Amino acid sequence: MAEPMGFFTDTSVCIGCKACEVACKAWNQLPARNGGKVPLTGQSYDNTVELSGIQWRHVKFIEQFSPDRSSGRWLMMSDVCKHCVQAGCLEVCPTGAIIRTEFDTVVIQSDVCNGCRACIAACPFGVIDINPETNTAMKCTLCYDRMQAGMVPACAQACPTHSIQFGPISELRQHAEARLAQLQAQGVSQARLYGHDESILGGLNSFYLLLDEPEVYGLPSNPQLPSRNVAPSAGLSAAGAVALGVLGLVGLRKQRMDKLAAEAREQQEGDGSHAG
Amino acid sequence: MGSNMAENHPVAFRWVAQAKLNGTTLIHVDPRFTRTSAMADLYVPMRSGTDIAFLGGLIRYVIEHEKYFKDYVVNYTNAATIINDKFQDTEDLEGVFSGLKEAPQGSDQKYIYDNATWQYKRVQPWDAAKAREEAKKAATFAEMIQKMVPPAAEKDPTLQHPRSVFQLVRRHFSRYTPELVERITGCPQDVFLKVAETVTANSGPERTTTFVYAMGWTQHTYGVQTIGTTALLQLLLGNMGRPGGGILALRGHATIQGSTDVPTLYHSIQGYMAHPDARKAHDTLTDYILTETRPTGYWANLPKFMVSYLKSMYGDAATPENDFGYDWHPKIAGDYSHMPTMIAMAKGEVKGALIFGQNPATSINAALQRRALMQLDWLVVKDNFETETASFWYASPEVKSGQLKPEDIKTEVFLFPSAQVGEVEGTFTNTQRLIQFHEKAADPPGDCRSDAWFTHQLALRLKKLYADSTLPRDEGIKNLLWDFDYEPGTYPTDTRIQGEPDVLKIIREINGYQTGSKELLKSFGELKDDGSTTCASWIYCGIYPEKGKLLARSREPDPDNKPGTNLHWGYAWPANRRILYNRASADPDGNPWSERKKFIWWDAAQKKWVGYDVPDFAATKAPDTPAKPGATGLDAHDGKSPFIMMADGKGWLFVPVGLADGPLPTHYEPMESPVVNLLYPKQQHNPIAKYWQHEENQLAVVADPNFPIVLTTYRLTEHHLAGAMTRWLPWLAELQPELFIEMSPELAQEKGIKNLDLVRITTKRRSIVAKALVTPRLRPLMIDGKVVHQVGMPWHWGYMGIVTGDIVNDLTAMVGDPNVSIHESKALCCNVERLQ
Amino acid sequence: MPDSFFTASPEWRWWIVFYFFVGGIAGGAFAIAALLRLFGREVDRPLSRLGYYIAFPGSIISGILLIADLKRPERFWHMLIQSETFAPAFKWWSPISVGSWGLLLFGLFSFLAFVGGLAEVGILPRGLQALVQGGLGAVVNVLGGISGFFLAGYTGVLLSTTNRPLWSDTVWLGLLFLLSGFSTGAALLILLSWRQNLPALAWLKELDTWVLGLELVVLIVLLATVGMAVLRPVLFNAWGVLLVLGVVLVGILVPGLLHYRPLLGRLTVPGAALLVLVGGFVLRVVMLLSSEAA
Ligand SMILES: Nc1nc2c(c(=O)[nH]1)N[C@H]1C(S)=C(S)[C@@H](COP(=O)(O)OP(=O)(O)OC[C@H]3O[C@@H](n4cnc5c(=O)[nH]c(N)nc54)[C@H](O)[C@@H]3O)O[C@H]1N2
Ligand SMILES: Nc1nc2c(c(=O)[nH]1)N[C@H]1C(S)=C(S)[C@@H](COP(=O)(O)OP(=O)(O)OC[C@H]3O[C@@H](n4cnc5c(=O)[nH]c(N)nc54)[C@H](O)[C@@H]3O)O[C@H]1N2
Ligand code: SF4
Ligand code: SF4
Ligand code: SF4
Ligand code: SF4
Ligand code: SF4
Ligand SMILES: [Mo]
Repeated sequence: MAEPMGFFTDTSVCIGCKACEVACKAWNQLPARNGGKVPLTGQSYDNTVELSGIQWRHVKFIEQFSPDRSSGRWLMMSDVCKHCVQAGCLEVCPTGAIIRTEFDTVVIQSDVCNGCRACIAACPFGVIDINPETNTAMKCTLCYDRMQAGMVPACAQACPTHSIQFGPISELRQHAEARLAQLQAQGVSQARLYGHDESILGGLNSFYLLLDEPEVYGLPSNPQLPSRNVAPSAGLSAAGAVALGVLGLVGLRKQRMDKLAAEAREQQEGDGSHAG
Repeated sequence: MGSNMAENHPVAFRWVAQAKLNGTTLIHVDPRFTRTSAMADLYVPMRSGTDIAFLGGLIRYVIEHEKYFKDYVVNYTNAATIINDKFQDTEDLEGVFSGLKEAPQGSDQKYIYDNATWQYKRVQPWDAAKAREEAKKAATFAEMIQKMVPPAAEKDPTLQHPRSVFQLVRRHFSRYTPELVERITGCPQDVFLKVAETVTANSGPERTTTFVYAMGWTQHTYGVQTIGTTALLQLLLGNMGRPGGGILALRGHATIQGSTDVPTLYHSIQGYMAHPDARKAHDTLTDYILTETRPTGYWANLPKFMVSYLKSMYGDAATPENDFGYDWHPKIAGDYSHMPTMIAMAKGEVKGALIFGQNPATSINAALQRRALMQLDWLVVKDNFETETASFWYASPEVKSGQLKPEDIKTEVFLFPSAQVGEVEGTFTNTQRLIQFHEKAADPPGDCRSDAWFTHQLALRLKKLYADSTLPRDEGIKNLLWDFDYEPGTYPTDTRIQGEPDVLKIIREINGYQTGSKELLKSFGELKDDGSTTCASWIYCGIYPEKGKLLARSREPDPDNKPGTNLHWGYAWPANRRILYNRASADPDGNPWSERKKFIWWDAAQKKWVGYDVPDFAATKAPDTPAKPGATGLDAHDGKSPFIMMADGKGWLFVPVGLADGPLPTHYEPMESPVVNLLYPKQQHNPIAKYWQHEENQLAVVADPNFPIVLTTYRLTEHHLAGAMTRWLPWLAELQPELFIEMSPELAQEKGIKNLDLVRITTKRRSIVAKALVTPRLRPLMIDGKVVHQVGMPWHWGYMGIVTGDIVNDLTAMVGDPNVSIHESKALCCNVERLQ
Repeated sequence: MPDSFFTASPEWRWWIVFYFFVGGIAGGAFAIAALLRLFGREVDRPLSRLGYYIAFPGSIISGILLIADLKRPERFWHMLIQSETFAPAFKWWSPISVGSWGLLLFGLFSFLAFVGGLAEVGILPRGLQALVQGGLGAVVNVLGGISGFFLAGYTGVLLSTTNRPLWSDTVWLGLLFLLSGFSTGAALLILLSWRQNLPALAWLKELDTWVLGLELVVLIVLLATVGMAVLRPVLFNAWGVLLVLGVVLVGILVPGLLHYRPLLGRLTVPGAALLVLVGGFVLRVVMLLSSEAA
């Protein structure tokens, strides 16, 4: 296995130019929604709305202003698959379409996927969706094809401000720590890293520097693996099944007892009359 | 300030982002909170069109708090120079300078300035007219220039003289107090003061501040004055000619810088020399040279530039006897810039037009421009897409609404498909004056051809057409040297396209060569005024010093970005200098002002200027060299005068010549404004602004109650200009699919408008419809005690393409800056209503 | 905000609602049939046969519904066999993977039982009776019963093994669906057999009453464990109303009451059964679709 590779996205220098979105679509030949004819959303400068099967990068815009404008921020963040070290999507995929590559990234093999969509529900970040052209689940591949050829992913290449940094995870983590320290020294106390260590799903191979709570950016603060529910849920069900069996048996037994009792009574009564 | 760098220059903004990582403080002054504001440490709101008041406030702050860089100001600027006694300031004349006079009949301006009273006070009286007559008798150009040298100017190095530039500046800006700044601009005083403190704290020997601007400053009837205000401020702070300082103009279109250097401009021939003009004393070459040459400073070389240029135009036909063909050269007789040309077209005075890479059907007062296009007999549009300009005759709102029928429009339109930049080779000149060569990646599809191909083929055909003419007026085209065909046998074999000109030959002509030996020139220092050299643009001379060595092709970055000037990456004109006037990065004695800001310095041992850049100074002229009285050119300057292009070698706080505007910048209101000029109630706007009379080009009156809202127009990252290059591309169309108007929640509430409601926007010209984008990024401003709302509209939409929308420029008016005729689309007055 | 609210919807809609409903009935019906077969009397055989007749078609319909819901139905077999190596595809920790195998097994056993049932009544050769009688019959019934319970319950576990609102915020969904599957299976059996007045009917009715009671308890526990932050956006709306009216009232309380008071006269028994079926269906609808409301 090669060295784990991934992204460190420093949202503090993201200018919301969407070059990453377009580069991704261009490289992966993903179509525009409705051929580009979409309605204005009215949600800040975001008109691509969400990650989807044809939108593997999505830039979020968050306007935070006090009513008198004495304070105001416009946060931007380029969202993408997190290439989780413990990936919920990979965990549930029944067909084996989702694999972990030699770069420790998570890739969906489109020719294997049958569109069951379990992965969509499993991803804690809402990354995956069905691509309407292939009818299979799709998401960022971390440009597996480019990486295999020793190239930088298209989005990182296009990013003018180095908001998206690509490289070996170990190096990225160092950069991130240094940048965080710098920002905090400058008094940006809200700055924090997200997914840089094992605490989130064993580490996100696409991790972030955020300037506010993860929720503000539409990120769960404590994402988890779907499998956490398997054992308790299955256990309760199994117990339920046993209980039902027992209940049925008790009923059947009671029925039989009642029957026997009734028969016995009948017999007694018959005997009596007979005797009497 | 006046630019939205992150959105419109995202790739250049990478360096700002990097500077941020290095701890730079970033301030953004803009009427709207933009993606640039989002990156800034301090966002400063203001009313569109009030930058001079804001910057003037900074100038006053710097002077009154004595924050100016004294050594720099005294030695490197004209602060100490004494001005003519007859000069009267706006403070004396209620908003105008002495010398204002009525413009000639039929002009686009009501008034113009005569700059006679603004001149330096000379140690002896001097009669320029007489000197000129004397000079005409000279035998050589050099001698002629010699006779034009004026006596030295009077100076007071203590800066105390009441007529010294410094005192005039102080007095001129004395009323620009923080309080007045707030009343005019709407920027709260405390925010303004924070800017003042940050800028002054980051200026001086150890630190520098830079100002970055673009259309937010220029698209006004006083755009040049706004930039002038900043130049004045930066000179006071000592921020010019030093690393991390200066004023950075972010140029717009791809290689727009190149197209002003080797210009497509109507009023400039090349290298920023004036175009021969029938309205000026330009009758003969001698007249031209006498009028245009500044005898002291580097511009004294103008005769060499001009003669070499004429040689590039007319080749061997240009001889000393025929004034190097000067008479063949066209002369302008008026303002031939875009807007007046369109007005003339609307009046039926223009028969045909060739429109390359432009989309006037969507530009300033667009409906009027479409009306103008309809008056043409023929129109050639050369573009990559079928633009609004190519399709106005069947697709414009006028036709769609049934107001006009295609069969009633007489214009015959020819659409020539154009090659894209990746399909041609050539150079790009960027905002930093850096010229970089790019290769061709692929052949253009189908009939698409490059603009060079088209121009080359057109020229060849025209020359053929006129070859047999005997008319004197056709001498020019007959003698025009057009030598761009590939040498036989050298045409590239890997292309299907035939008939392209040889780009290297064009570069050779721009670079220049020895007329006789055809040897390429290595620098503009080699240029001669006797016809022995040829050069189409002196500032590019040296880019192609020898065959096989095109410096625009060089791609060697500095190792580890040290020193970071990257002199071997591309080529920056002039002479590969990366920072102009960089002599100012050293103190008067030639030592760096500080270790931190070390850049160019005098090496006494080597007896020359050395450093990280190509010195912008006579290479071996020591700091203690005295000025030679009566000398021409750089000899007239001492070793302490960094601004070598200026007549006195100084940075000009006070500008006696060169501008149509007054010698000092002054706050005026835009031509349409919701308030009266607080500073000069009797002079509402720039007295010499240009305005083109037309029934479809009316302006709202001052504080018009029908149009109480300030409207500004701008760009989005997601689209490019009129949108032809982006609205046809699904990937970009989906990013910003519909025209919108940004407004504050306060205004929306006042007008009963909700987010995404359809809104009608009306100006004195016309009205259009857009969707409301209600956002706290816009805010109402308190202007002199009154709430003024601002709204903003990106102007990228039109009626062609995948996504379409109303044309914002149907709202704008044709008014212009007196110097450069740029329109005022950054500040107009409108009203907005919810569409029922 | 709850962590489950940052996820995307798999858009499992009506095919899956019906699958969960049919699968629950089929699984429940077989489980009951197996119980009767294994522990009941000979007179109960018709009722257990009815269970087989419900289960096998139910498994077929389930399979069809499940495949129809795939975006690439022609690749349904990728669930079971790896398309590249042709090795079996099985992940014990993924309910959707286990479920596919479960459905396959259930289909197999319910088919065998179905055949056996038909043989018992002489439609198929008598020899095939062995499939539901004797030693072999016991094996088929045990394995089929287990896979029936599995089929009724795993769908809830499947929903919980996601990161979606409501589904993944509780571990009680599997049990709830199991109980509901069992009760709807019982209800369908009652509905199809009440005229024949089979002896096991009383047992079935009583069992169903118990199960309904349990279901109510589990539903309450489920809601209590989910937490307000999730409930508010998910169920404090029309879905919640539907849950209370359609599931609790119509599907549980009214039928429960009917088991004690023959309010509908002759139609009380089938009426109650019908209401249980309606309630079971509405439960699937609400649990699946309300998650989208978040
Ligand atoms: N993505 C993209 N990039 C482009 C272009 C494009 O269309 N799209 N166009 C290119 C071209 S041709 C050009 S010229 C440049 C233009 O580049 P910019 O000048 O940066 O572009 P604009 O958006 O026109 O205006 C800049 C800002 O000026 C603000 N502004 C308006 N009025 C005033 C004022 O009175 N004072 C101040 N201080 N600010 C004001 C506006 O709110 C806006 O944010 O961009 C170039 N780059
Ligand atoms: N209201 C308002 N109006 C404005 C401005 C504003 O800020 N507000 N800004 C102004 C400014 S700064 C500018 S620069 C102008 C721009 O206004 P225009 O220049 O009129 O508009 P563009 O859309 O840039 O038009 C350029 C055209 O060139 C085509 N093109 C691209 N490459 C080539 C090529 O290689 N060859 C040829 N022949 N064609 C090519 C494109 O397809 C496009 O149609 O608009 C001005 N108008
Ligand atoms: S972010 Fe979602 S899609 Fe990406 S690897 Fe993690 S779980 Fe899978
Ligand atoms: S949709 Fe495709 S990738 Fe996702 S879980 Fe199902 S088979 Fe795997
Ligand atoms: S890594 Fe590749 S696939 Fe992923 S978002 Fe970037 S460009 Fe798209
Ligand atoms: S390309 Fe970079 S700066 Fe632009 S939106 Fe994407 S992440 Fe942000
Ligand atoms: S569009 Fe071209 S010129 Fe403009 S920022 Fe991007 S790369 Fe630079
Ligand atoms: Mo521009």
